[in-house]
Amino acid sequence: MLTVEHISKRYGPVQALRDVSIDVRPHEVVGLIGENGAGKSTLMRILAGTVQPDQGVIRVNGTAVTLRDSRHAKACGIAMVFQEQSLLLNMTVAENLHLTQEGEFTRMGLLQKRRMNAAARAHLSRVGLDVDPRTQVGELTFAARQMVELAKALALEERTTAPLTIFLDEPTSVLETRDIGILFDRMRSLKSRASFIFVSHRLDEVLQISDRVYVMKDGAVVAERPADAVTVSELHEMMVGQELHAGYYREDRQGLPQEGEPALEARGLTVRGVFQGVDFALRRGEVLGVAGVIGSGREELMRTLFGFLPQTAGTLTVNGRDLVLRSPTEAVAAGIGYIPRERRLEGLVMDLSVAVNMTLANLDVAMSRNIIDRTRERAIAKDWIERLHIRTPNANQVCRNLSGGNQQKIVLARWMTAKSRILILDHPTRGLDVGAKGEVYDLIRALSEDGASIILTSDTLEETIGLCHTILVMRDGSITGRFDAPAGAKPSQVALLEQMV
Amino acid sequence: MANAGIDRMSPGLLFDRVRPYTPVLLLILLLLGIGIAQPDFLRPKDLSVILSDAAVLFELAAGMTFVIMLGGIDLSVQAGASFASMVVAELLPSVGYLAFPITILIGLVAGLSSGFVHVRLRIPSFIATLATGGIMTGLSLLMEAGQSVSLQQAGRYQCVWITGNLILGIPNVIPIACVVALGGLFLQRYTRFGRFSAAIGAGEPAARAAGISVARYKIMAFGLSGACAAFGGVLLAAKLGSGSPDLANQLLLPTIAAVVVGGTAITGGIGNIGLTVVGTLIVSIVRIGMTFLGVDIFAQQIVFGTALVFAVFVTIDRSKIAIIK
Repeated sequence: MLTVEHISKRYGPVQALRDVSIDVRPHEVVGLIGENGAGKSTLMRILAGTVQPDQGVIRVNGTAVTLRDSRHAKACGIAMVFQEQSLLLNMTVAENLHLTQEGEFTRMGLLQKRRMNAAARAHLSRVGLDVDPRTQVGELTFAARQMVELAKALALEERTTAPLTIFLDEPTSVLETRDIGILFDRMRSLKSRASFIFVSHRLDEVLQISDRVYVMKDGAVVAERPADAVTVSELHEMMVGQELHAGYYREDRQGLPQEGEPALEARGLTVRGVFQGVDFALRRGEVLGVAGVIGSGREELMRTLFGFLPQTAGTLTVNGRDLVLRSPTEAVAAGIGYIPRERRLEGLVMDLSVAVNMTLANLDVAMSRNIIDRTRERAIAKDWIERLHIRTPNANQVCRNLSGGNQQKIVLARWMTAKSRILILDHPTRGLDVGAKGEVYDLIRALSEDGASIILTSDTLEETIGLCHTILVMRDGSITGRFDAPAGAKPSQVALLEQMV
Repeated sequence: MANAGIDRMSPGLLFDRVRPYTPVLLLILLLLGIGIAQPDFLRPKDLSVILSDAAVLFELAAGMTFVIMLGGIDLSVQAGASFASMVVAELLPSVGYLAFPITILIGLVAGLSSGFVHVRLRIPSFIATLATGGIMTGLSLLMEAGQSVSLQQAGRYQCVWITGNLILGIPNVIPIACVVALGGLFLQRYTRFGRFSAAIGAGEPAARAAGISVARYKIMAFGLSGACAAFGGVLLAAKLGSGSPDLANQLLLPTIAAVVVGGTAITGGIGNIGLTVVGTLIVSIVRIGMTFLGVDIFAQQIVFGTALVFAVFVTIDRSKIAIIK
């Protein structure tokens, strides 16, 4: 009923989707899994009508359609429930449900709230949500908002003759277990009205709710399986593919951390309401991983260690000195470097040159007598370009034009220029292709052999396990597990997962 | 990349390449155009009138360039310049030459205060500077109950370094503006302040995450703008022989126009002093040229308003901006 045939999409040098074909049958829940960067979001944007494919056809009930924009996609019966919820928090539930449909409730230019609220009540009952439609969405819990989103998606059936397909993008990542159960119950009972595409990182959930599962990897569909004929670990293997061979994370180069005074130590580190009582010691030459689901507090812990979010209690000792890092400026002064998750936003000043970005955290190296020496600056940049094999025409190239992997190397070069010996790597391989990931792994190993201390978070558990000497697991703002992960004796993902959820 | 060749030829990208040179082209076209219509316009005497006019405007625009490059705006420059003209006129009889540095220092402090209000109290710069500008206008009006202050004979003498023609009969304001331009160029190319301003303007989150103290450099930029506005006010007072609470009125629009017409993006990031030199010349030629061609002086603001819209339209690559606020 909804079919996607041979869709391809390219963003500059990145092939985001490659010959992807998927079909959704009536009354079916289709699971869609894949690592970050596998192409799920691009596929979603194409189905939402906000991105146009370079090649391929989308068919609704056998008729080829070009989804011009999100309004048109909705008219074709494709509804989206986004990960970042699309509700307006300062408006009521009813206003949100009927956004852009106000015409139906308008008489002589005036909006009839009574009728709108009554219609909203009917929609809400369909998803089993018992709230007053006059409530402001901002006052609802996250789980309730998700249900409002679902009701909004379902409301589409009144406005289109096309069969309804609802695309759920990681709907469970912010929900409690109990609420996930409720969501799944609703989905099952709504299957008579609509089909679903369900995207999630949690493979057990995908198997639990889906009828069929598509596995994506590097922009292509690598497998399609009935849910009752496949196991979580099989799915996992298909998703990760050959990446999982032993040498992938350069385990042979994993040395031992140095003994002696730790480079960074946290004792009872707390940011009120976010995480509490975090203890760890980061030794020189150590790669310390922090694992945890969204909301576990690990993202915020990273931000605290780089001065974005100062602690409210506890001590942070950096190279023997107790500090409260009140800004990134203070963190840099303390010898800490940060590779942000959002490379395009926080990693590089995209419209400035490679050389300028490399010296941004320590302009002193390029200055003589308080004046910027541009020749020296270019020489420093050239040196890094050669040492890190950065593929750029020259040091004056604007960073925006380079590939993600090369951009990431420039950020790393910046912190090496700044002589930062403690590096916080917040999802350092996000959005990189397999080759670029490998180069980042090599760099991490080289830095650690050189005695630098690294704290790392990652999108995948294998990456965390493969790269780290020690792994902390966080849940609900506290550390719930500590694992040694020496080369050759790595803990299993299952062991970590047990502490995570 | 099968279609890379086609992309490169598309008119949009071609225009992207030409874009940085459009202000220079415009300047040349203007000179030629007015020169053909009124050949007298290109005589050295008249050119020096244009350059002297441009010199004063440039002081204001030079400081504004850094503020705009950082993504802000300083709407207090005309109030700052008028205020400075009053201060210098009041001070000259009592403190003599010291009046000049004191006035500029006061401008610097006023600018730093605007910056502080904007950055530390987190108030949008256009509101912060509108407010500080209002305060300065009020102070200027209070000083002599709204009256202007004439520079007495002694005061005029002390202003000769501004009003004289030291080199080859060229009015001194022109070399003074050149020195300011070179200073600005140096600041921008060879100092921490210039480098970090460019980084903050082009990508504030990334600059912050690189450990740059964003607040400090923003406040400094407003301080610089305040000092430059005060210096512009001093030049104006010297030229006209008096300080007045509304001396620099009508200069705000030309100042912003000079920066933006030059090619500095109003959204921040792209920009430099060199562009502002070109922009200032364009604005001055249009100003003087209009008078020359007999355009009513009251109609000139219409031309600036239109030119400003056109310049912003041409200079900004709107594809990078999601929402225009």
